[in-house]
Amino acid sequence: MSTDVMIHADRLSKVFGSYRALDNVSFEVKQGEVVGFLGPNGAGKSTTMRILTCFISPSSGGAKVHGHDVFDDPLEVRRSLGYLPQRAPIYPDMTVWEYLEFVAKMRGLDSSTFRKRMKKIVEVCGLAQSLGKDIGTLSHGYRQRVGLGQALVHDPPILILDEPTSDLDPNEKAELIRYIQDIGKDRTILLSTHNLNEVEQACARAIIVSKGRVVADGALDDIRAKTGRVRYVVIVDEKNALKGSAPKEEEVRALLAKIKGVVKVKEIPTDDRAHGFELAGEQDGDLRGELFRAFVDKGWILLELRRDAQKLEDVFHELTRKDERLTRGKAAEEEEDEDEGDEGEDEDNENDSGDRDRKG
Amino acid sequence: MHTLYIAQRELKSYFTSPLAYVVICLTQLLLGVLFFLYRGGFWQVDRATLDRLFEYAPYGLCLLVIPVITMRLIAEEKSTGTLEMLITLPVNDWEVVLGKYLGALGLVLILVLSTVVYPVAMFIWPWKLGAIDWGPVKAGYLGLGLMSAAGTAIGLLISSVTRSQVIAFFVTFATLFTLVVLLGVGGEFAAKAGVGTVVTFLSFQSHMTNFARGLIDTRSVVYFLSITVFSLMIAFRALESRKWK
Ligand SMILES: Nc1ncnc2c1ncn2[C@@H]1O[C@H](COP(=O)(O)OP(=O)(O)OP(=O)(O)O)[C@@H](O)[C@H]1O
Ligand SMILES: [Mg+2]
Repeated sequence: MSTDVMIHADRLSKVFGSYRALDNVSFEVKQGEVVGFLGPNGAGKSTTMRILTCFISPSSGGAKVHGHDVFDDPLEVRRSLGYLPQRAPIYPDMTVWEYLEFVAKMRGLDSSTFRKRMKKIVEVCGLAQSLGKDIGTLSHGYRQRVGLGQALVHDPPILILDEPTSDLDPNEKAELIRYIQDIGKDRTILLSTHNLNEVEQACARAIIVSKGRVVADGALDDIRAKTGRVRYVVIVDEKNALKGSAPKEEEVRALLAKIKGVVKVKEIPTDDRAHGFELAGEQDGDLRGELFRAFVDKGWILLELRRDAQKLEDVFHELTRKDERLTRGKAAEEEEDEDEGDEGEDEDNENDSGDRDRKG
Repeated sequence: MHTLYIAQRELKSYFTSPLAYVVICLTQLLLGVLFFLYRGGFWQVDRATLDRLFEYAPYGLCLLVIPVITMRLIAEEKSTGTLEMLITLPVNDWEVVLGKYLGALGLVLILVLSTVVYPVAMFIWPWKLGAIDWGPVKAGYLGLGLMSAAGTAIGLLISSVTRSQVIAFFVTFATLFTLVVLLGVGGEFAAKAGVGTVVTFLSFQSHMTNFARGLIDTRSVVYFLSITVFSLMIAFRALESRKWK
């Protein structure tokens, strides 16, 4: 294990009663990495973070943070990290300043260092006007800001943030993301969130967990490529055509579905002068020529045609689909068969009439 | 150091809510009634002693003050989740337990000491109601202090095994009721069965009567201290057990 590995989770499992919340979770985070920790509700993100901060112990497996073992040296582990638990539970009966001072004292900061750090924290977390307020009277977003301040107060080399942006307004979100990008150059940050845009902005790497297992771990580009597909966006004029009548939505859909190589057709919202569709195609092919020709043949006016990488969101859906179906009470066998065929080839039948059209 | 910071924060938090003030005022009021009105008041007792204070204070402390003060200690932190914030600071679990304990004990002792007003007022200033033997008074307060230490530790222990403050209150109340009232009464019955001394020894009251007489019995000191240490150790284990659940 090289020395710049800051977080090392080694086959972590956690069993609550008879429920297996984590199942052999392993990953490493190196110095200077900002890693998005993603997964559906109940995937085990918070549980993993609680193990890394030594709040709970794994049922099996181990972890090292900053080179310290979570079993042998929990105090050193906690000293080297700042942690924001989900929903930022803080004492409501203290003022913001009192609370941050308490945390600083517990972390062994002397008062001049504390004051110096507070300048930065007030700036980053936007707390200037709340320092004297009781935490119990703060809005949720402000409470979360205080929680962040608490995690940053000792300027730790490692930050573990459990949904730090869930209650923040867009301005503060942007500020936090900016700060994370800024300090992320030489710190290590593990950040869980359900907002994939943030991950695309702030993180170079993501770990996706589902039902307690790691289903993807790697650079965002690699993860995007993981489904083996690319995305096309097609926008067609709804009012005019070069010949014949202007296309109806079903006609466009039927045309797209017929083109070889298109595996998924989904309508996307546009204004009322155009039809918009999102298609998925194989990673190594390029369907743009095909598509263009098909539209020219029909005499329809193509307003936009674009090919780009899959959105993180699509990959996320794809990777967590199986578990997602189970939680929604869909039969397990039915999807087993489908998945047999081609890894990541088919998509949910329910929101995908293109699929049906193609077969019909 | 951590322990002291936690204790300090805990004690302070009692005073930011009305709880501490209500309990202090109520105690003073009850004591006032006890001294001046109940059973003809202090004036009817022909000797200058504080027997009555030491006779009734355990009931007030154990059946009201301690359950109210200790019920929230850990149960509240568990149910609101603040425990996670506290424990993931670089502190040991035992520092959390001890800090919370000292904070709560601090408030209980402030209450106990606030009753010193009565003997001082009656025997030193402004009234001089005759000479009092200070030996039993000092021993009595030592007894109250030790009893508070034990009772608070029991309350903390119970608060650390539940998330509900209400449950913590009632279980603590029931436990202390047993130790203070039931075992005292039970001792008399048990005496007939030949195990009277054992049962009586386990009751808080029997030890308090010794202290109130000015008797500092090592066995009583050991009794209260071992309850304290034992309860704190179990509370520590209970807190630690969250890791494995
Ligand atoms: N103390 C506990 N006792 C029993 N089960 C638990 C406990 N903590 C977590 N779980 C279970 O473990 C699973 C993982 O929970 P966890 O909180 O880690 O999910 P998460 O990925 O953080 O989800 P979310 O996105 O909703 O925050 C859930 O099914 C949850 O019910
Ligand atoms: Mg969570």
